Amino acid sequence: MKKGETILSTRDLSVGYPKKIILKGVDLEFKKGEFISLLGPNGAGKTTLLRTLSKHLKTLGGAVLIANQDLKAIPQDKLAKTMSVVLTEKVNPPLLKVYGFVAMGRYPHTSWSGRLEQRDDGVILEAISMVNAGDLVFRDLSTLSDGERQKVLVARALAQEPDIILLDEPTMHLDLKHRMEVMSILQRLCRDKGICVVASLHDVDIAAKISDRVALVKKGMIQAFGPPENVLQEDTVAKLYDFNNASFNRLLGTIEMKNHGKKSRVFVVGGMGSASVLYRLLAKKEYEIVTGMLHRNDIDFHVADSLGAHCIVQPDIDTFSSEINESAREEMGRCHWVIDTGFNLEKINQDNITLLKDALALGKPVFSLRNGQSRECFTDVEYDQINFFDDECLLVDQADQNFKHHEALS
Amino acid sequence: MAFRRAVTKRQNLCLCVVAGLLLVFMIVNVLVGSVTIPFSEVIDILLNHETGSTKGFIIWNIRIPRAIAGCLGGAYLAVAGLLLQVFFRNPIVGPFILGISSGATLFVSIVMLTSLTLGFTVLNPFMNTLAALVGAYCTMLVVLSVANKVKSGVTLLIVGLMMGYLCHAVTSVLVAFAEKEKIKGFVLWQLGSFSGFKWSEIQILLFLGGAVVVLVYFLAKPLNAFLLGEDYAASMGVNIRLFRMLILLSACGLAGMVTAVAGPVAFVGLAVPHMVRMLFGTSDNKVLIPGSILVGAMVVSLCDFIARMVFSPVELPISAITAFFGAPVVLSLLIKRRVDI
Repeated sequence: MKKGETILSTRDLSVGYPKKIILKGVDLEFKKGEFISLLGPNGAGKTTLLRTLSKHLKTLGGAVLIANQDLKAIPQDKLAKTMSVVLTEKVNPPLLKVYGFVAMGRYPHTSWSGRLEQRDDGVILEAISMVNAGDLVFRDLSTLSDGERQKVLVARALAQEPDIILLDEPTMHLDLKHRMEVMSILQRLCRDKGICVVASLHDVDIAAKISDRVALVKKGMIQAFGPPENVLQEDTVAKLYDFNNASFNRLLGTIEMKNHGKKSRVFVVGGMGSASVLYRLLAKKEYEIVTGMLHRNDIDFHVADSLGAHCIVQPDIDTFSSEINESAREEMGRCHWVIDTGFNLEKINQDNITLLKDALALGKPVFSLRNGQSRECFTDVEYDQINFFDDECLLVDQADQNFKHHEALS
Repeated sequence: MAFRRAVTKRQNLCLCVVAGLLLVFMIVNVLVGSVTIPFSEVIDILLNHETGSTKGFIIWNIRIPRAIAGCLGGAYLAVAGLLLQVFFRNPIVGPFILGISSGATLFVSIVMLTSLTLGFTVLNPFMNTLAALVGAYCTMLVVLSVANKVKSGVTLLIVGLMMGYLCHAVTSVLVAFAEKEKIKGFVLWQLGSFSGFKWSEIQILLFLGGAVVVLVYFLAKPLNAFLLGEDYAASMGVNIRLFRMLILLSACGLAGMVTAVAGPVAFVGLAVPHMVRMLFGTSDNKVLIPGSILVGAMVVSLCDFIARMVFSPVELPISAITAFFGAPVVLSLLIKRRVDI
């Protein structure tokens, strides 16, 4: 079968349990060589859908078609040669080496006795090397870490030589390294072997970056199905997970925690990416952030916006207009202290330096991360007024202390 | 692959050693008994197939049937235990977990303890066997009919346990009302014994049980798939319903057969599969099934020998010896956590 051919599709499918339909009207189409992610909150029915596709559950209505053949009509042993699964269920058979475990995937291909032929050994070793588990071959299954085990589970599924692999939350319990490794292994299966990989995932950001298509599962139906670039918009993702204090940023492809600034208002003068890390830190420490002046194409704007900061932005990439300057000054007046992120000095953001100087003139405490020659833009008097710090953490620690001191006084 | 051949070679060697030991124990069981028969005489009796004399009768109709029955019983119980341990993915499961022994005990208690036996002046041992057989298979039928309906193996396990409690409850009520003399006979039956086997019984045991064991060997591949649980097994092409029925039928069949003729023999079905796993260092059922047959037969031969000889001529109940021997095995397994699921 060629890449790009439809291998698995559903027609008006209903899934669930005899007395309770969980998803209705599911119309999906998966092609060979595609990576498909099922996204949705816990309990939305991702696992139920996967279990129906894998024939572990009966279809309650509609049909599942595998290469245009109804799933119901395909005998179990034939299905096993087309489709394999990786489940969340913990498997830990005693006294079994990794090789023997992966060899179990040959089940549908071996004779009644389960004897492994030369070809089987080849397939098993290839599966093991595909998942970078060559060093685990003789390890006992019970001695593997969660990440290693997950790779071995994928290898077993691969040894079935399937066209489709269904995975239920393959990155659950994994550390970052293994999470990325498992995902890139799965992606490689799609690209190199032309396998259709369907996985239920919880990491929207990883799913957005790796999937060819995503299906959003919620409220008893498929909310959307298509390329993540189309489907995963800020508001769709927020709605999908009922985000209250987090937001998905489509451009950054990540989720940021929204901030409800409880502590004092901070004005951050940043730009050109110099402030992104600081924003997150301030947000984490629950400061209310006001930032400016930024250009709309600045990454600092996107991060600050996702974090729920109040941004003073100018759409055009030009020197800041007088209105923007005006409103920035106004906002700054309402803030308790001001941070200079040490942004690069360019012609178009000269006004930000002026803004800092104004802050000093107003008597606002100014903390600065600026170092080297660019400190020379301040006069000696201004220089003495500014608290300089080497990194963001020191700065925020000091700010915290000041804040507590302040609170104690009032 | 080279490493696989090496492993197979070692396992085959293990099998041969166990088979050799089994043979030795069987020969010892025939040669030694409470009645001393010199070696040369035994050989004579065996070669001439002499059954007429007392000694000939002892050898041919007491010792040899008992040796064979012990072997078969041990082998079948061990295989039944192995099947159920794999099926339930639980190391603490034995062949009696599905209520087989309790069912058999209940029916035997009805026969032995109630006025149902009034018609028989002498308690017919055949009645016992029949009652045990009926009891074992009745509970088995109940459990199987439930197995068809429930989804998970664990539920089935609980059903089996509950069946056991129910049967046990009825039995204890019967014991409370029974006459003292009858209770002693019943208690002795409950302890299990491989004595008093007739050749006809052995034939039935051999052919029926043998057929089941052969079937079980053909199930080795799906059994291996079952190590990963029902869901994975299904995804690899195992017909779960059919297979579940076959496993339960075989396990109940084997255990029920042995229980019917020898009474409930404890611990063999539970401990032997673990010993085999450790001995062969594998979970591959293609090795474990023949391994369990041989080790089960060997262990029961040894235990039966001990039961007969330690306080000869008083015979100890076989269950006592197997428990003496099996409980430490299970305990050490649990403490060492060599087998964890």
